[in-house]
Amino acid sequence: MPSKKSLHIEASGQLCIYCGACVGICPLNCIYLDETRITFDEKVCTRCEICVRACPVGAIEIG
Amino acid sequence: MVQDLKTDVLVIGAGPAGSMTAKWAAKHGAKVLLIEKRQEIGSPVRCGEGMSKEWLPEVGITPGKWVNVEVEGARIFSPREQVFEINEKSAGNEVGYVVERDGFDKQLAIDAANAGVDVVLKTAAVEVLKENGRVVGAKVKQFGQKFDVRASVTIGADGFESQVGRWAGIPTNLALRDMDTCLQYRMTNVDSDLRYCDFFLGKVAPGGYVWVFPKDDHVANVGIGVQVSQVKTTAEARKYLDAWIEKHPGYAKGKKIDMVGGGVSISPPLKQTVTDGLMLVGDAARMIDPLTGGGIANGCIAGKICGEVAAKAVHAGDASAAFLQAYEKGWRARLEEKLYRNWLAKEKLCTISDETFDKLIDALQGVKLQKLNVHNILKAVHDKYPEVTKEFEAFL
Repeated sequence: MPSKKSLHIEASGQLCIYCGACVGICPLNCIYLDETRITFDEKVCTRCEICVRACPVGAIEIG
Repeated sequence: MVQDLKTDVLVIGAGPAGSMTAKWAAKHGAKVLLIEKRQEIGSPVRCGEGMSKEWLPEVGITPGKWVNVEVEGARIFSPREQVFEINEKSAGNEVGYVVERDGFDKQLAIDAANAGVDVVLKTAAVEVLKENGRVVGAKVKQFGQKFDVRASVTIGADGFESQVGRWAGIPTNLALRDMDTCLQYRMTNVDSDLRYCDFFLGKVAPGGYVWVFPKDDHVANVGIGVQVSQVKTTAEARKYLDAWIEKHPGYAKGKKIDMVGGGVSISPPLKQTVTDGLMLVGDAARMIDPLTGGGIANGCIAGKICGEVAAKAVHAGDASAAFLQAYEKGWRARLEEKLYRNWLAKEKLCTISDETFDKLIDALQGVKLQKLNVHNILKAVHDKYPEVTKEFEAFL
């Protein structure tokens, strides 16, 4: 079985502006925004990449 | 060990819809706790800050220092940048003020506090409490400690990224075509006009628009919304916005002093906004106008109804979904028809070409509309470009 792709979010403040766009669109509700911290539930995430498209600044990289 | 709390009404999220709900529930005699996960209400701002104003008296808001600029009207720019000007009266609720959104949110929280609401900062809901399938409050986290807040009625006013509805089992998922991804810069040294909110349509912002809302002399919010279903690569909102600025010398010379992002739902109204013990309001209930992307007015109007029904439920000792239908029916009677109609209009506008946009705006040149609505616009267009209106027959 192929393993899930690794998931990386640039949340150092370099790109992420903590706007919550990814949180609202995630169909599996597996992204959490806590002021200036975004976390993914990697077990639930299916790497559908919808959040990547929803992010206005390109802060989410999957791969 | 922090003690668990008990209240009549728990409101999760102190944005406009949450504060409005809390205020009206308290005014009708309920004991209300309003929790906000951030340390500062209204900040950071996630908004273009353009707001209509004719609805403010209806919900008991008095304009204050948060009004930045009172605009005279809006200018709609076609792809080839022919202008259609709308004055404030004909645009109805679509233009009015450019506001300091953080000041606005704080004013609403102050109004709520003055009505007797307890406001608590740095307190995030982490799950809803359920008993026998009914929502009976929320587990919250404050300064690293978790405790339960039990409530007769719980309100989810937790914004676009709402979790509360999902936890409670209310479907709030969005289709990709029903969300815009947005980015905005506050820019200084730009050629904005204090008299107008400007909107640029067409392929400059697929499935959305570019906006310029004046904040002060030569200072403006310059932003964009792009429909997520039309996004192909990463950071497209930023790329489209930067490209637009680059093409407009009056803005390309400006300097960015602030950056704001966010998601905006442009969806049809939810089928359900209440369940046993819980109501959703504002952006969390997908009440944003799908055509304009504006959510403050609808959130506040629904918030007033939500607060009143919450207080009634407390007094009746009945927070069942059946009782809370009064809210479901109340906000739908006030907002649903327009939300649905504007969603249909949005669905259509997302598909039309730049050429058609140009014809639409061109047909409106010199036409005096009694009232700005889809029907009147299409009648004007029909006189000049009958072939264009064929595309829009469903709206006539």
